[in-house]
Amino acid sequence: MTNNPTNAILSKEALKALREERKEWIAAASAASRESRKALKAVRERLAQSSASIPEIAASTGLPPDKALWLVATMKKFGEIAEQELDDGYYRYALIAKDVEDAPDQAE
Amino acid sequence: MDAQREYAREYAFDAVVIGGGIAGLQSALDLADQGYKTAVVEKDASIGGKMIRLSKVFPTLDCASCITTPKMAAAAHHENITLFTYCDVNEAKRENGRVEVRITQRPRYVDMDKCIGCRKCEYACPVLVPDAEQGGFSGRKAIRIPFSNAIPQKAVLDVANCMLCGKCASVCPTGAVVYGQKPESFVIKADTAVLATGFELNSRLDKPQYGLGQIPNVIDAMQMERLLAPHGPYGRVLRPSDGKVPDSIAYVQCAGSRDASMGVSYCSRVCCMYAIKQAMLLSGALPLADITIYYMDIRAFGKNYEQFYQNAKAMGIEFVKAKAAWLDAGENGSVAVRYEDQLEGGAATREHDLAVLSMGMLPGWSPRGVCPVDVAGDGFLKTLRPKTNPSLTTLEGVFTAGTAAGPKDIVDTITEAGGAAMEAAKHLLSRQTGGVSLREADHE
Repeated sequence: MTNNPTNAILSKEALKALREERKEWIAAASAASRESRKALKAVRERLAQSSASIPEIAASTGLPPDKALWLVATMKKFGEIAEQELDDGYYRYALIAKDVEDAPDQAE
Repeated sequence: MDAQREYAREYAFDAVVIGGGIAGLQSALDLADQGYKTAVVEKDASIGGKMIRLSKVFPTLDCASCITTPKMAAAAHHENITLFTYCDVNEAKRENGRVEVRITQRPRYVDMDKCIGCRKCEYACPVLVPDAEQGGFSGRKAIRIPFSNAIPQKAVLDVANCMLCGKCASVCPTGAVVYGQKPESFVIKADTAVLATGFELNSRLDKPQYGLGQIPNVIDAMQMERLLAPHGPYGRVLRPSDGKVPDSIAYVQCAGSRDASMGVSYCSRVCCMYAIKQAMLLSGALPLADITIYYMDIRAFGKNYEQFYQNAKAMGIEFVKAKAAWLDAGENGSVAVRYEDQLEGGAATREHDLAVLSMGMLPGWSPRGVCPVDVAGDGFLKTLRPKTNPSLTTLEGVFTAGTAAGPKDIVDTITEAGGAAMEAAKHLLSRQTGGVSLREADHE
């Protein structure tokens, strides 16, 4: 694999050229990232109040239940959420207190 | 197109194995253990193939990862094996009695020598996209280690979902992120080759009668493998539409095989057994759930497979002899299965919380335009002597192993991979000693 130029020596001009070359991808990724940050924030705010099941998270955030589950599964993978007890056929989920830098969307 | 590529480097090996799944790894290990320098060329960012993505294997219910990971590690650390991951084969041909494979390695945008697999980049990345490694049921980052037991444990950047925000590069302790990395093309020359290119499942999105992917809680068997896996997306089996613990699960057999409308008229040979395996695992994970398998015939032909089937029935798994004609969305996220019961007679409809489609196996790779090896009518590689030498292809010195030549289970795949390695070794020996090859012997 060709490793040059490495980032250490990738010039501003080279980065600018890459941004231009990939501008459509970057725009799409940025839009998707904005959406997911917003959704993650909503889930986090709901769970900051108390543990909740997927239908409860969906109801209070306005997210579709499948999207709420997708986000919870992702946050669980990155150690931000823990599964709690089974409640009438649905597991409840709660936030794990930890450093913000470990959260899946901490970057701007 | 290929003429425009610059093949910067050339490598020489005794053998090249195309495909780093269980068949390719077994062939490579068997060749390498005999002292032959062997290259393994894999299309994914990690070796391991389909098997490393499975939960357990039938009929022993052994952990799939516990079998595959040691072979992956053995191949990665073997002094006679060189792994080439994230590669596309542009051309494979015989040239001057040797096999010449022209390859392009896609950029990972990560320096393989510098990356230490710490995943700091993954945690820092702000972009979430569906993780195909988890059936799409959870998200992954644009830059990530492909999966927890991937080999090599090196990050890969999905540049189509990258914002170029620089977060990954800023947290990387070794400066391994290389945004400007380019693909690299090279040539591998070897005296023999093994094609172990595996299979893909046909898509659950292709069958109108089963909802074309629009009915919630209709998934395929590979997705269920992820739900059952210890490192699966939810850590347990849940209904993807809303996280409900399913009380009733249906398996629809022959959903992608023995079905001319799907272009797959053959039997995929493993669907009955993997459905029974998953049903047994579900019985353990969800003891109160009702599990129903809608089947046309149960094909339990391998060693201990019939007993496995009988055990499943004894565990309370319901087998309904019926071809499911239609699936539809039921109430509260359920899936309505419309079927004609072939024993009781008459059409009926039952609702389940979750339906699993047992999709069929398609060839994982087509050699057309890439390699002058013949394919059979079903699209899998043609073998010259399917009964007496199933690894022999139509190209001298090129052998095949596993599902590249047709649907088969893991037991047969591994056995065949050993056979392919033996044939390749015989070919190497005949070249070294000036002896006769298989085809030359045929003509004498």
